[in-house]
Amino acid sequence: MDGTCLEFAGKATPRSAAMNEVEELSLIRRAQEGDRSAFDALIRLYDQNVLRLALQVVGSPEEARDLYQEAFLKVYRSIRHFRSEAKFSTWLYRVVMNVCLDHLRRQHTRKEVQVPMVEEGEPEFFQTVPDDRPTLDPERTTHSKEIGQRIQVALDRLNPRERMVFELKHYQGLKLRAIGEICNTSEQTVKNCLFRATQKLRVELGDLA
Amino acid sequence: MDCHELQENLPLLLYGELSPWEQAACEEHLAGCAGCRAAREKLDQFHQVLAQRPKVELSSALLTESRLALDEAIESQQHGWRALWHNGLPILRFQPASGFALGLTLILCGFGLGWGLRPHAARLTSEAPEVNSASVANPDLENMRISGISRVVPDPQTGGVKITMDAERRVTLEGSLDDPKIQQVLVYAVKSYDNPGIRRDTLDALRSHADNPNIRQALIYAMRRDPNAGVRLEALEAVCSMKSSSDVHTALLEALEHDANPGVRVAAVDALIDHTEKEGCDVPTARALEHVAVTDGNAYVRLKCSNAMMKLGK
Repeated sequence: MDGTCLEFAGKATPRSAAMNEVEELSLIRRAQEGDRSAFDALIRLYDQNVLRLALQVVGSPEEARDLYQEAFLKVYRSIRHFRSEAKFSTWLYRVVMNVCLDHLRRQHTRKEVQVPMVEEGEPEFFQTVPDDRPTLDPERTTHSKEIGQRIQVALDRLNPRERMVFELKHYQGLKLRAIGEICNTSEQTVKNCLFRATQKLRVELGDLA
Repeated sequence: MDCHELQENLPLLLYGELSPWEQAACEEHLAGCAGCRAAREKLDQFHQVLAQRPKVELSSALLTESRLALDEAIESQQHGWRALWHNGLPILRFQPASGFALGLTLILCGFGLGWGLRPHAARLTSEAPEVNSASVANPDLENMRISGISRVVPDPQTGGVKITMDAERRVTLEGSLDDPKIQQVLVYAVKSYDNPGIRRDTLDALRSHADNPNIRQALIYAMRRDPNAGVRLEALEAVCSMKSSSDVHTALLEALEHDANPGVRVAAVDALIDHTEKEGCDVPTARALEHVAVTDGNAYVRLKCSNAMMKLGK
């Protein structure tokens, strides 16, 4: 895998761009020997993107923080087993991906109780969620909020694997090859998964396009 | 390339995932096929719809909160049973046979010890060390630190008193700061000891050896987490004397933005100016100074930040 294929499109921090592979390798070695400051420096290279991805997947800051913690704790516990056969970023995102998948699977099993049914005369659930963004056109805001909610609901209906592949490809801009390495599967399988996700979303959101 | 093939490749075309020759073949087909052009337009519109999903804004507060929570979780792991499993008993993890043997030995020793102590168990309380007033002159007892008194029983017949107390013997360690055992004790004192005066003295002793990774980590830890502002300030000064690095810089930014004490925040501004004069001013530093110059609750901190920005030409 080339060195940049796991950089998130347009979101890489200047520090991570400047960090070369030799420096990263040295941090990994020191972290494997138990040096906490090296571990901290190493995860600082990726943690903003990981938190952003978690936030994108779960929506709530509290849950995103939990996923962030769970993922990096797993990394901390198992970094001594990391071998440089794969890139560190691939290995890290594999851990993150698995944590997100587990979360989405749990969420899928309790999906029915998450969105309350709307009784007649009661405000619709999403209407009660405050939106603090300043705006001059309330009608337009309401409309785009509705579209945003429709997209979110459609994404939530994808199965966890399709959801993660779609998030990583469409919203994070990763290459299919990189996603394949993260998922430990072939590029073709990722491609098929992406097609299925796209197809389902087009069916769900067809009237908006 | 026919229409069916093109429509299969259309999503990949929009994602820029096709090879140059596949892309050229698609473009060539699209130029001559109105139906496929319409299909691409539809997919374009669909992508525009997806782009209306609200953007995720990552706040620095959430990032800091997440980092601190992770830090705490790792700290608790380092001192928990997992640390023993990972660091203390590696043989058990990799050699199940020796693990089994050790386990069996421990069980047998437990039974043996239990059996050996059984007849004396009843006498243990009465055989607890008893101290009479004459023993206080004993130099060993003078070196004991009394951590608690559990019972005081006056004896009316003799006019004496019987005191049952928990005491620890005082130990003095002496050695070079290069000695890992000395370092270990001092790092523990910085992180965990409850007396802020001792933590401050320990920081003073450690600062000359800040190149050692464990000491460096302890100094940064104290700067970020010590409950006492004086100790955090001392730690910040020690951290500033360390070789500049990304973790030091991040810790300084955290102190500037989140430390509860204005004195520490002011010291962080000074340290960041020093740091940026040597290394150049990066975007996060400029942003943090700009942010604190406007939002900090303390007028002097705001003024310091504004001056710092002017000094750095921002």
